[in-house]
Amino acid sequence: MSCENCNCSNQANYENIFMPKEAKIIKTKMSTASEKRFWVKWADGSQAKFQPGQFLEVSLFGYGEIPIGYASSPTFKDNFEIVIRAVGRVSNALHKLEKGDSIFLRGPLGNGFPMDSLKNNDVLVVAGGIGYCPTRSLVNYILDKRDEFGEFTLFYGARSPKDRMFNDDFDRFKNMDRVNVLETVDKGDETWKGNVGVITTLFNKTDKINKDTRVIICGPPIMYKFVIAETDKLGIPHSNIYVDLERRMKCGIGKCGHCQINDKYVCIDGPVFKYSELEDREEAF
Amino acid sequence: METKFINESGFQDFVGKLVESRNLLGPVAKRNKFVFGEINKYEDLRLDYDVTLLPPKKLFFPPKQDLLKFYGQKGESCIDPVPQILLGVHFYDIKAIDMTDLLFRENNEDYNYLANRECTTIIGSNIQNVSARAFFGSVGTEVEPKGHDGFLTKIDGGYVFEVITAKAKELLQFGDFQDANENQIEQAEKVNAEVLTKCPEKLNNTSAEINEKVRNSFYSKIWEEIAEDCFSCGSCNIVCPTCYCFDVQDDWYLDQETGVRARSWDGCLKEDFSEVSLGQGSIENFRESRGSRYRHRLMRKATYLNDKLGGPACVGCGRCSSVCTSDIADPVNVIKQIMEE
Repeated sequence: MSCENCNCSNQANYENIFMPKEAKIIKTKMSTASEKRFWVKWADGSQAKFQPGQFLEVSLFGYGEIPIGYASSPTFKDNFEIVIRAVGRVSNALHKLEKGDSIFLRGPLGNGFPMDSLKNNDVLVVAGGIGYCPTRSLVNYILDKRDEFGEFTLFYGARSPKDRMFNDDFDRFKNMDRVNVLETVDKGDETWKGNVGVITTLFNKTDKINKDTRVIICGPPIMYKFVIAETDKLGIPHSNIYVDLERRMKCGIGKCGHCQINDKYVCIDGPVFKYSELEDREEAF
Repeated sequence: METKFINESGFQDFVGKLVESRNLLGPVAKRNKFVFGEINKYEDLRLDYDVTLLPPKKLFFPPKQDLLKFYGQKGESCIDPVPQILLGVHFYDIKAIDMTDLLFRENNEDYNYLANRECTTIIGSNIQNVSARAFFGSVGTEVEPKGHDGFLTKIDGGYVFEVITAKAKELLQFGDFQDANENQIEQAEKVNAEVLTKCPEKLNNTSAEINEKVRNSFYSKIWEEIAEDCFSCGSCNIVCPTCYCFDVQDDWYLDQETGVRARSWDGCLKEDFSEVSLGQGSIENFRESRGSRYRHRLMRKATYLNDKLGGPACVGCGRCSSVCTSDIADPVNVIKQIMEE
């Protein structure tokens, strides 16, 4: 159809920014009782290209779309991982998918972690609960390019030993050099021999963090201010702290408005922000 | 740009010819109010309207719009714009359309909106009657109405027609237009200038003064005080010509195999707008109080978008003031209170 009162002769070619691309699930695994891990490959055979910290809108026709961070490093190009926590209509539908099924994705979206600012510096990643998934893209990136970074420390806190995710990662870290990993659980059980207590208790258990360390924080909203109280004690400037935020997002492209923090859009200005950019924004945490 | 004149009877014939040959939309009466709707004959067109219930955004960004159709696992784009001529848009709504054009184009071009917009010819018209809550004469006066194709101004004996784009020029073939003389052009300018002084409500500060004071009032108690009467209904968002937030939902058709992914208007005043599920039944709402939601709307209108838009994202139509159940939405009232704090 051509248009009689304008020049839009190409209208059949209008690109629809909401159209997802098909990807194939090549493997799945339940990480915890409510979190499922998916290994995914683009259906057209293209390589996974993204920055650590970017995210995807993950969808299933008939159910909807949800924003999910990449849980693997772009240094691994063959496939990528996402982790879905079953909390609503879309995520519960996604949980029914298995190897060989299709999944529909838009992305990579968002800004990702500031690699230029992290490189050649000491890095601390503070990950609470499912907050480990998006930061895992950075953790594995650093471990794959270990020489490009200084000291590397990971704090991981889970609610209980049963809620721990990626046990294979933590087993692997034990055998690696120059990787300082500290774990804790809010509440232990008879199987748990490690630290018990909130994630901030880990700050007293390492001397690898100093005022020049770059800090990445991702976890439940309540966690941020307590972690920053600890980094403040170490004198780490707020401009060297990066927070990776979760919000409701319906578009992921800076239009639908749901993810706004004051004048910022988490989907396009974030999801990774310098803490100094957000600290005076009441709606951030 | 050329400026034409057409007399009253010639204008009637012009509209009649547009009805015959084009998809013509404009202000029409609906009971005792006005809406943008189809013009099927000259008498339908009510250029004497004061304000429409909904702004013209609904013609590019419908209240519910299919984005994708799906057939099992296959998705198909629903972008299929219908050419239309929109006649009789007041200058404040023209300003608003120009803003939403920019917002849907910036960063990531959203052709679900832009295609509809590109296929629309917009002919503005002067304001013949002023609505009871309008303040377009004193808000964002530094922002010029632009992005429209032509503009009609009623003067003695007929209409002056500013022909701005080729889309408008192409319409000249349908009417007996003459070149407007200086006197007619002057009359039109006077009509358009005079209406700015006739608003029942008025802001007393510049956009820059308001921008600064409102932004610095983020932690004022005023937001919670005013919003105590807020029902969180989102009506102020729905009728706003510059509000463009939306929700996206999938729906199955009855066959349970095909369906649509559709977006529908949403509003930041609604309670669940910023909610996130944290799992295990817990929810975080980043704008939990009515005051914080009320504040967010006003910040968006008076400060957050100003740099981008060159002025406030409010055009003074007064629609939010007139639909608010508890009459707390009026930007003039809130801004006055803040400026006096």
